[in-house]
Amino acid sequence: MMHVVEAGLRSTVQDRGRWEHLRLGVPPSGPADPAAFQAANALVDNGDDAAAIEVIGMPFVFRLDDARLVAVTGRDAWLSIRSRLPGWTSVFVRPGETVTVRRGERTRYAYVALSGGIATPPILGSRAAYLPAGIGRALTSGEELPLGLSTSGAHYAARTLEAPSYDGRIRVIDGPHTERFEPDVLARFYGSAFQVDETSDRQGTRLVGPPVAPRGGELLSCGVVAGAIQVPRGGAPIVLLADHQTTGGYPVIATVIEADLGKVAQANPGETLRFYRFERATA
Amino acid sequence: MAVGPRIAAFGEQALMVELGDVFDETMVARARAIADAWERLGHGPALPAYTSVVLHFDARRKSLETAEHDASDVIARAAPAVSTGTARLIEIPTVYDGEDLTDTAARSGMSVEELIRLHAGRDYTAYFLGFLSAFAYLGRIDPRIVAPRLERPRTRVPAGTVAIADGQTGVYPLTSPGGWRLIGRTDVVIFDPSAADPARIHAGDRVRFVRR
Repeated sequence: MMHVVEAGLRSTVQDRGRWEHLRLGVPPSGPADPAAFQAANALVDNGDDAAAIEVIGMPFVFRLDDARLVAVTGRDAWLSIRSRLPGWTSVFVRPGETVTVRRGERTRYAYVALSGGIATPPILGSRAAYLPAGIGRALTSGEELPLGLSTSGAHYAARTLEAPSYDGRIRVIDGPHTERFEPDVLARFYGSAFQVDETSDRQGTRLVGPPVAPRGGELLSCGVVAGAIQVPRGGAPIVLLADHQTTGGYPVIATVIEADLGKVAQANPGETLRFYRFERATA
Repeated sequence: MAVGPRIAAFGEQALMVELGDVFDETMVARARAIADAWERLGHGPALPAYTSVVLHFDARRKSLETAEHDASDVIARAAPAVSTGTARLIEIPTVYDGEDLTDTAARSGMSVEELIRLHAGRDYTAYFLGFLSAFAYLGRIDPRIVAPRLERPRTRVPAGTVAIADGQTGVYPLTSPGGWRLIGRTDVVIFDPSAADPARIHAGDRVRFVRR
C-alpha cells in the first residue's frame, strides 16, 4: 500500500493512456509530460504499462508499507526523506519513511513512480484518470493506493537519467493541414515566439502571439492527436495535450514530437515557446 | 473529378487519411470501414470522422514508410459493409423544452410544434463519436430547420441535453461547455464509464427521438 498523507491539488494516477476507446470519444489521457513520466517508470525498473502518479500542486507526501524504489521527475522536482534527494534518480525507500515530493515554482506536473507500479483497478482498460468524464478521480489526503509486485531491490537505486532541458524550443512535424496556411503565415509561425496563456491545462496549451490564421474554408471535424497544434480562425494556436478532445474542427498547422510534448505542457503562463521543424531522418 | 485518398503524417505515431472535402453517408461509411480494417489487422487504434481517419501505429516497431504502405493497402481493400437495413435502432425519449427552441423555430420560420414534429419525425444516422466522450454526431436534420452554431457558446450545458447545429443533432453525454442550440432533454444515460459498453450510441446506429 501507498499511504497518501498529502495529495497536492489535483494529483491523479496515470499510465500510458487509454487507447482502445478513441472511437467512443474517450481521449487517451496519460501523462501531460510523457518524457518525464516514462523516465520515472524506467528509473524504478517498471515496464511501459506501469501506472504512476502525476502530481499537480504541492505538497505531495506519502509513506509505503514495504520497501520500494521511488523516482520523482518533472521540470524541476526532487524529493526529501530526512534530507534532500535529487529528482530524475532512483531512491530506495524503506517501510514507514515519510517521502515529500518537492518542486521549484516552474514545475506544473511532477511524476512519482514506485517499483511495481500503482495497481488501482483499470477503467475501460487503463488506470489513467480522465477527470472531465468522471473516469478515476483526484487523489485525496489520507487515502491508500494498492501497489503491484516489486521485484527490484536496493541494488537498482541511485540510477539517474538526464532531465530534458525545458527550454521552450519545440520540435514539430509539418501537417497534416499545413497547406491550409499561406507561406507568409507559416514563416511567421516558425519565426515568432508565442506566450503561454493562463487558461492552459491538461487538455491543451493555449498560445498568444502574432496571428497565424489558416486560409478561409471549412474543415470538417477530424480525429486529432496529442501534440497537434490547432489554429482557430482568430489565429491563436492551441497545442493539444493528453486530455484533448478526440476530434477537432480547426486546421492543424504542425504536430509536436512526443519528446517535446512535456516542454509544452510544463510551460507556465507568460513563458514563451518557439517552434522548429524536426527533420525525421535525425530521429 | 474525384481525387484519391491523401495520406499525411500526423506527428510521429499516426497518419491522417483524407478521403475528400465534402461528406455524405457513403464517405462516412468508408472512413469507418478503413478504421475497422486497420484495427482488425492489429496495426493500432483508428479514429474515423466525416471524411477522414486517423490511424495510430507503434513507431517503436514500424517506420512511417511502412505505416503509409499499410495504410494504402487497407484503403484499397476496405469496403464499407453493405447497408442491409439491420443497423441498431436507439430510441431517445425526449422532453422538448430547450432554451433555444422558441428562437430556433422563429429563425426557421415555423412554429415550435412544427420544429418538434420535424426533429422527432425521422431516424438519424450516427456518423461518428467525438467532441465529448460518447457524443454522437447524428444527421441529418430536416433542412427546413435553420440552426447555425451559437456565436457565443454556453459555458455550461447539462448532461442529457438534446441539441442541434449545422444540419446535425446530438445529446450531450456530460455537462460541458457547448455551442449547439438546445431544444430538449433526455433521461437516457449516454456515457457510463463503469459499463462494459460505456456508450449508448455507437457509430452506424440509427437513432430516433421520441417525444415525451
